[in-house]
Amino acid sequence: MSQAPATGESALTPAVKAVIGASATKIEASLPWGIEREGLRIFTQAIMDPDPRYWDDEFAKTTKFGGIVTPPIYCTYLGRRTRPGSEDPVTRAFAENPNSDGIGGVRDADEGPGSLPKVPTHLKRILNAGNEIEVRQYPKLGDRVFSQAKYSDIKERVGKDGSRMLIVTTENIYTNQNGEVLCILRASTIRR
Amino acid sequence: MTTAQELKDKKQTYYDDVAVGHQFPPLIIGPMTPTHLFRWSAAIENWHRIHYDQSFAIYHEGLPNILAQGSWKQSILPRYLKDICLPDGWPWKVTFQHRAMIVPGDTLTVWATVTKKYEEEGLGFIDCDVGIRLQYDTETCPGKATIVLPIRNGKAIPYPFVPPKKLAS
Repeated sequence: MSQAPATGESALTPAVKAVIGASATKIEASLPWGIEREGLRIFTQAIMDPDPRYWDDEFAKTTKFGGIVTPPIYCTYLGRRTRPGSEDPVTRAFAENPNSDGIGGVRDADEGPGSLPKVPTHLKRILNAGNEIEVRQYPKLGDRVFSQAKYSDIKERVGKDGSRMLIVTTENIYTNQNGEVLCILRASTIRR
Repeated sequence: MTTAQELKDKKQTYYDDVAVGHQFPPLIIGPMTPTHLFRWSAAIENWHRIHYDQSFAIYHEGLPNILAQGSWKQSILPRYLKDICLPDGWPWKVTFQHRAMIVPGDTLTVWATVTKKYEEEGLGFIDCDVGIRLQYDTETCPGKATIVLPIRNGKAIPYPFVPPKKLAS
């Protein structure tokens, strides 16, 4: 199929350009007690990784890390957990919609602390375009983990049918209580 | 699957040991079951029903079965690269895309093949093609990775890892 000429106005409007570089509020991704053994056990068993660096104190002390650490991108999952004392999101979701898919009403990515402003575009369909993960350091037991998101880039692309789309790249930087970078997650989505 | 003892005893693979085209030992996972998928959903509190509610996945969403989570795949590749690098290398960076679906019954082969090697600031960098292949050879998570392996008699890889300025994003 040959490339059709671009149709309509550019999707990369001044309003869209204005959100490039926008940052969300830095939030604590870990629960108030930081990295702990039981959460680590549940996670590592779910990825089927029996590495003793996650549970064997004596062995972990002999490694370059000097103690128990987490898997490479463990910190990127911490923010998904329901914080103690907050409203039960599952009960709320199904109270609002008995046919809930379990996620629509449970978590809205565009709301709450740490969320980025919505990209002001009429392009509503969102597709995953790929992820990049950069690992700098593993959290240790007791560490607290913080995250901050920003729109690192938004580009326009023209599909083979001439339709315009946006490639939106979000960068989320995870740091520990000392401000040291643990992991950087760059996720790109297609808006069309 | 790798055992805890194997990971404890793992001998270092050095930068000097690999050449372009080298295939690292694959990690075989599976067959996947609904219980594996449910365990991951519970572990990270991902309540999307397409991952554990078969009736919902098939009859409401029109899917062939419940699906393995993209977030699970996303965690498997860094875990595999970490294993390759143990004990003193560093699984620095991985990029990937989500392609084919993983459903219960699938067996996965996590793999990495060296495409380039180069030294920077005295450290040995290895670029790889990586992926998670299904039992019928369909690639479900194609990507690229850069790992750092120690050079024999070379300097230690710093921890925390700080990429050389020339390679930093």
